[in-house]
Amino acid sequence: MRVTITRRAPRTTRTALVALTAAGALALTACAGGDSGAMPESDGEGGDGNVEIRFAWWGSDTRHETTQKIIDLFEEKNPGITVVPDFTDWDGYWDKLATSVAGGDTPDVMTQEERYLSDYATRGVIADLSELGVETSEIPEDVVATGEIDGKLYGIATGINAYALVADPEIFAQAGVEMPDDETWTWEDYVEIAGQVSAGAGDGVWGAQDYGFNEAGLNVLARQKGETLYNPDGTLGVSAETVAQFFQVSLDLMANDGQPDASRSVEFQNAGPEGSLLGTNTGAMGVWWSNQLGALSEASGHELELLRLPGESQYERTGMYFKPAMYYSVSATTEHPEESAKFVDFLLNDPEVAALQLTDRGLPSNLSVRESILGDLADADQRMADFMADLEDEIVDSPPVPPNGSAEMTDIMTRINTEVLFGDLTPEEAAEQFLSEVGAAIGS
Amino acid sequence: MTDTPVRPEARPQPTSGSRQALSEIAAEIPDTTPRRRVGARVRGLLKHLGLIAFGLVMLYPLLWMLSSSFKPTALIFREPGLVPTEWDFSNYGDGWSALLHPFHHYLINSALVVLGSVLGNLVSCSMAAYAFARLKFRGRNLWFAVMLMSIMLPIHVIIVPQYILFSSLEWINTFLPLIVPKLLATDAFFVFLMVQFFRGIPREFDEAARLDGCGHGRIFVQIMLPLALPALATTAIFTFIWTWNDFFSQLIFLTRPDMYTVPIALRTFVDATSNSSWGPLFAMSIVSLIPVFLVFLFGQKYLVKGIATTGIK
Amino acid sequence: MAVIQEVARTRGTKTERRKGDGKAAAVFLAPWFAGLALITAFPLVASLYLSFTDYSLLAAPNWIGIDNYTRMFTDARFFQALEVTFTYVFVSVPLQLAAALALALVLDKGMRGLALYRSAFYLPSLLGGSVAIAILWRQVFGSDGLINQVLAFFGVQGVGWVSHPDYALGTLMVLNVWTFGAPMVIFLAGLRQIPVMYYEAASIDGAGKVRQFLGITLPLLTPIVFFNLVLQLIGAFQSFTQAYIVSGGTGGPVDSTLFYTLYLYQKGFASYEMGYASAMAWFLLLVVAGMTAVNFLASKFWVFYDD
Repeated sequence: MRVTITRRAPRTTRTALVALTAAGALALTACAGGDSGAMPESDGEGGDGNVEIRFAWWGSDTRHETTQKIIDLFEEKNPGITVVPDFTDWDGYWDKLATSVAGGDTPDVMTQEERYLSDYATRGVIADLSELGVETSEIPEDVVATGEIDGKLYGIATGINAYALVADPEIFAQAGVEMPDDETWTWEDYVEIAGQVSAGAGDGVWGAQDYGFNEAGLNVLARQKGETLYNPDGTLGVSAETVAQFFQVSLDLMANDGQPDASRSVEFQNAGPEGSLLGTNTGAMGVWWSNQLGALSEASGHELELLRLPGESQYERTGMYFKPAMYYSVSATTEHPEESAKFVDFLLNDPEVAALQLTDRGLPSNLSVRESILGDLADADQRMADFMADLEDEIVDSPPVPPNGSAEMTDIMTRINTEVLFGDLTPEEAAEQFLSEVGAAIGS
Repeated sequence: MTDTPVRPEARPQPTSGSRQALSEIAAEIPDTTPRRRVGARVRGLLKHLGLIAFGLVMLYPLLWMLSSSFKPTALIFREPGLVPTEWDFSNYGDGWSALLHPFHHYLINSALVVLGSVLGNLVSCSMAAYAFARLKFRGRNLWFAVMLMSIMLPIHVIIVPQYILFSSLEWINTFLPLIVPKLLATDAFFVFLMVQFFRGIPREFDEAARLDGCGHGRIFVQIMLPLALPALATTAIFTFIWTWNDFFSQLIFLTRPDMYTVPIALRTFVDATSNSSWGPLFAMSIVSLIPVFLVFLFGQKYLVKGIATTGIK
Repeated sequence: MAVIQEVARTRGTKTERRKGDGKAAAVFLAPWFAGLALITAFPLVASLYLSFTDYSLLAAPNWIGIDNYTRMFTDARFFQALEVTFTYVFVSVPLQLAAALALALVLDKGMRGLALYRSAFYLPSLLGGSVAIAILWRQVFGSDGLINQVLAFFGVQGVGWVSHPDYALGTLMVLNVWTFGAPMVIFLAGLRQIPVMYYEAASIDGAGKVRQFLGITLPLLTPIVFFNLVLQLIGAFQSFTQAYIVSGGTGGPVDSTLFYTLYLYQKGFASYEMGYASAMAWFLLLVVAGMTAVNFLASKFWVFYDD
């Protein structure tokens, strides 16, 4: 019987290693020689002076379809520039983007998100858009500021969302509970009302879906209390007390049956809008981004309403804010900065673009463009736009761009919140752990 | 490289029946053994009942996917039952045309990648396996260890250097990064698989052929390959299925929509941050399962066409 | 088939093998060597190099020596990932192989509808990585899912099988056993490679079914059992997809399904610490290579080769 791997082969080991290293070195050399940082094939070539730029975005099929129409429109209006689409879903997008950056193939234009913007900006991957002359005069200053880091404009908000409470009036009615007055309700009211709905609406229907998996809710509470999740200098700005209070709400809601048990909360959280309490008509309230109202309404099969989060008049100030839905950013190493900027300009400021994509990338940040599409919005989006307009005057400021490492926040938040729900951590312990883990992630 | 004596009781001695058996290797004899007794019949029936029950459990996910593909998107989540209360046939039509290209475009792309990969693995892995299983050369054990080592690193740390490598070769957005590695036997799984099968072939066969003046080429092609048909079938089927379903490397190496393959196309129906088209996703998932299922259904009979299909009387 | 007939005629004539087959080996291994040099070596060596650097993917790597390796041993989640992965490997691999072998023996021969059974049993392995399957698991293993409905029928109170930290890993192990299709197919192929002449000989000698199984089937199948064991082990240490799908990429609930590779992926692609991820990968390689070596050593005592 012969066993292959374990037999020692002393004489050949060294030769083999030498060969292996040589092969590696060869590959490395080949690599260094060929790494031009540009797209392979026909980059910017073409006898007629045709310029090719690559635009990367994430989304699902409806967004891909409208974005392709927008590209066609741009190419029509700008002969000589070809835009190559490069799209995938959210999860795949970030893996692919990071890999292509590592390989020196950064897309010329890309969509960015606040949790990632700083990572890309501070490492010199994306360009300062203010130097490229993209027109931003129609975009409110505080919205433009959401893409600024250290005075440089690394991304321009495509549109805005608000983190808000979505409520199902039918379930409220079914439970015999009045819809709350969202301008005055407190966090305590929220817990109580959720409990009443659960009690009144019958088995298998709850008042609220657990909100503790998303740090945006914590940010709102922190802002209400005069704190902030992140400081502009990239450190944590929230107190342990506030974090503990945030987690305590979930425990109170479980104590009065206002929300499902821990296991179900995890399950609903993982099920996305379609499988959520609201989407499956098994709950009256949930906290979502305003642009998800459409998906939630469609899943539930009837009209849902947007409300302010509780506590807006409970503490020092209002906490709600406009979050950039996503940003358009341009590669710092693009060979065609001018054409890339032109394309971003077109995406932001052309009313025809907005007419195609409506609120798919958030309620348009460009005010005159936003105005132009208000009449074309579907029912749910119309209500979302109205809600956002109501908020406009109440919102104090925009939170700064989250610091490097904040992409880890989702994982940390999910993990700690789950431990709180299962009773493995008290809110106070959770607060401590949260501050130390997030602190480590963002290096502060 | 000394042969350790084999425990005698473990080694059944080939008998004179073997010559006849071997002459029938290529013969196609159906693998059914007639049952003679009633007891056996009852036992057979019970066995079938058990297998059917078990099979239903195994089939449940497929049935569920099939049923979901006929539900309107919202109902997929609200109604877990297997029979849709509301039938929606539009998912198939919508899904087929929802993306930038009609769905068959992605099916064709996947088919190209898969065919190249299957062919590559069959040829290159069997060649390498022959060398490792039958040839005597210096450093054999070391190289074998190196080969196994190459599949012990998770793809997630390999993919970035790979991307850099393929990018410098200007292979990004072509099928080359997906096919060429298979042509070059980088799938150690299959090399090792075939090594094991080749080693299971009694060495008397090729020793004898060697005496008759056959070179390694003829031994490989005319003895080893036919006798290892089940291993080749396994390699072909697995390569097909795994390549067809492989998402990550295809996502990374193919950047333009016209090169997208089925797994990438399927992903574009859903997105964690925006509206997802679950209905069309399920419909197209079913469509994309058909080729793999057919390949398995028809390919599996070659799994059982080895030496053993001979000599049953 | 003439060659084989000739072979058969001269069966049993042992010859002294030539001293070496260097030239032939060079030819047969040419594609593999080319693949090693052109495709495999560089990423392997590069990841080893990167494991000694601070590498964000987004900017050039900086050499930091062995910091990544020492950091692992102060990282609580790293140990959690190790624990989860080892538990998973040592429970689910033997179970899966046993299931695969049992089913392969049942499905080997002599039955109507074999092709359909085999295909049906392979199906779960086909579906494993589908996006849609995440929703299915929720509906089957959820608090109000299919399993709990069945349990409730018998008056048993179920739990959230994938959402409760105490049960999620166990559920994943069951799910893994359930996708025994690949090793089953390999066993099937292996069974078919056992020459029938051996069984004929045994029958003539009056050996019964059990003795035939123990004396012929099992020993001759050991190279395939060995193959499945080694490869399933290597594969299980790198398990990723199922935990990724079930936990939405977080390894949750509460890190209870934080597979090693999942953690490594989070570090590399969410925290942009590819240097650390590479170090973790090489640590994994050492562990897996060590176990594989032990496997090969142990195989001397139980794997039977006919050559």
